[in-house]
Amino acid sequence: MSRIFITGIGVISAIGNSIAENRMALAEGRCGIQNNLDLFPTKYSGVLPFGQISVSTASLLNNFKISEPGVTRTTLLALHAFAEAIQDGGLSPEKISAAETALVGASTVGGMCLTDELYADANKNSNGSPYTSSYDYASITMYLQKHYKMNGIINTINTACSSSANAIMYGAMLIKNGFAKRAIVGGVDSLAKYTINGFHALHILSSEKCTPFDENRKGLNLGEGAAFLVLEKEEDITGKKVYAELTGYCNANDAYHPSSLSEQGDGPYFSMQGALQSAKLSTHQIDFINAHGTGTENNDEVESRALIRLFEKPPPFASSKANIGHTLGAAGAIEAVYCVLSLAHQEVYANLNFKQPIAATGLVPVQSYKKIPLQHVMSNSFGFGGNCSSLIFSKA
Amino acid sequence: MFYIHQTYCISPQRTFPQVDLEILNHPVNKKLLAIEPLYDGIPPGILRRMGKAIRMGVGAAMPILKNTNALNGIIIGTAKGGMEDCIKFLNQIVQYEEGLLAPGNFVQSTSNAIAAQLGLMCHNKKYNTTHVHRGLAFENAVIDTIMQLNEHPGNNYLLGGVDEISDFNYNIETLAGAYKEELISNEHLYDRDSPGSIAGEGAAMFLVNDQKENAIAKLKALQILHSEDDGLVKNNLKQFIAAHLPAGEEIDLLLSGENGDNRTLKFYMDCEGLMETNTAIVRFKHLSGDVPTAAAFGLWLACQVLQKNDLPLHMIKKPFTGPHCNNILLYNNYKGLQHSFMLIRKY
Repeated sequence: MSRIFITGIGVISAIGNSIAENRMALAEGRCGIQNNLDLFPTKYSGVLPFGQISVSTASLLNNFKISEPGVTRTTLLALHAFAEAIQDGGLSPEKISAAETALVGASTVGGMCLTDELYADANKNSNGSPYTSSYDYASITMYLQKHYKMNGIINTINTACSSSANAIMYGAMLIKNGFAKRAIVGGVDSLAKYTINGFHALHILSSEKCTPFDENRKGLNLGEGAAFLVLEKEEDITGKKVYAELTGYCNANDAYHPSSLSEQGDGPYFSMQGALQSAKLSTHQIDFINAHGTGTENNDEVESRALIRLFEKPPPFASSKANIGHTLGAAGAIEAVYCVLSLAHQEVYANLNFKQPIAATGLVPVQSYKKIPLQHVMSNSFGFGGNCSSLIFSKA
Repeated sequence: MFYIHQTYCISPQRTFPQVDLEILNHPVNKKLLAIEPLYDGIPPGILRRMGKAIRMGVGAAMPILKNTNALNGIIIGTAKGGMEDCIKFLNQIVQYEEGLLAPGNFVQSTSNAIAAQLGLMCHNKKYNTTHVHRGLAFENAVIDTIMQLNEHPGNNYLLGGVDEISDFNYNIETLAGAYKEELISNEHLYDRDSPGSIAGEGAAMFLVNDQKENAIAKLKALQILHSEDDGLVKNNLKQFIAAHLPAGEEIDLLLSGENGDNRTLKFYMDCEGLMETNTAIVRFKHLSGDVPTAAAFGLWLACQVLQKNDLPLHMIKKPFTGPHCNNILLYNNYKGLQHSFMLIRKY
């Protein structure tokens, strides 16, 4: 089966609207999380910190000259990252609309960022808002399909917080199995009253900036963002800029609880182990791990346990969620882009806000920007429903 | 491609556990609601917390889980799974003005709750994923299963398609113009020259692997396509048949996703136009309703036909004339934009 390479990337997050801005902010250890949510009225605005993107929905609409009704912020963030990825990957409009170009998106919020419109439409308190076809998860990928006149296989995945890691896997499998010649893969989520209240009801939102892997962590911060990657086959990359190779992937289930991980971390353990097997690598060959590291009591301790169980002495690792918050369905793709940047520039970025290791596991994440030689990098994404996925990227 | 070894379906009709399609169940308040079984074997405490999509999905999968020791993955397609819990939680947010909310509906509202619950119930720690691509959510689950089997020969997968019609997504879809405004009975779904179809729900589950022995059916080929251009869809279907139908054989049966919506009829008529004179034509949306994952019901139905070779009159648009039914073409489209072709063969 073909080897898969990453030839284009695009990202938007709370620390920047482009690849260059994101890399700069990561290298400088900047945090994009603030108490200034102003996207929609919510009682948590100014109370809880969020990783809000500074670009307004109106200016996103304006940037893409969109005048049609029914286009949501989630779709616009996806469009922004997608546009950067295809430009970066040098894909012509003909290539994008070719039947052999697949698109795999992921989202857990979809158009539900429009909580008030959805409330009115679902309870029939309106004559129909312009958004009746824009609430579902597929609406984003369907918009990209229409906007770029795409004719290949199109899919949308929702496995909660591991959604876009699975979108990357699915795109790679489409190429390997001959369903596509190239795939544009990624994920998106925007901040929504829906998810804010959901995570708040679960008591896992921190009232302060999140502190992944710290003994005194208080929970996660929600963020928003989007990232897309262009995946191409070895045969098709001659003369192209290549960021990294996707060498391993695995999806496993923790099968323990709908919204928390088992103490032993079977799901995380099996997904990391399976990714190593699929890449034909052993534990000592992994040079860095972009951890899931949400900053919740449950995740960080279980992920640490699973890291120790598999690696004994885990390699350098860090979570980027203290920079951008937990971007849910976008997290796997954004963090894949960060891994790819790490490999391309042979550098790792700091896990911000860390002070004291978790007593039970004692692991200490990378705390400052470093230039280190990187051959293989792992990225973890774990979600509700026990859905765990790990990806391995290697130096091209 | 792959072989189907077991299949079960919970639908608005008498399909579970025994199948009897002769008597047609009718819509209630314009919705074809699933006939839910008693769900023996699911602990009551767990059952109470499950949303309808999860109940139907778990219920239809239970017989497969009971008969199968080694599942290597759970692959689900659902466009609307979790919608009811989603809006219940949303209503809580608005009604209690973002006060202290119970998280149950929120956790149950994620699309992956069906696959997750199945994994939890059978302690399955293997591949577990959920495709949500609206009218092609199930078809992408099928493609995923094909690829898993290519990469891991010998494995067994639970493949399923599940959707629910809660009052909430019924309202949204009604506002979007998905359903007929006039009150019609489902046996007359195809008789009206008007826009819209009829709402439905259900779950179909399949045990699939790459082993030919004792299989019910073989999924020989699948293609998906996004297009509003009927000429383009027709050309693709023509090429699909040419590429995958064995030389000298014919499509014996067309399972048509025709849904009574005059805006999408042209696609189905084009498809019928490509069939041979001997090809029988069977419709099923008056049984299942126009669900985004209707192709899962269609695939279950194909397995029924191959096992029993017998269908009630209310489903038959053009009767069987040939001596056998070996090749079945399932053509479905969702809202005139998302198309799928599946070629299913007897084994």
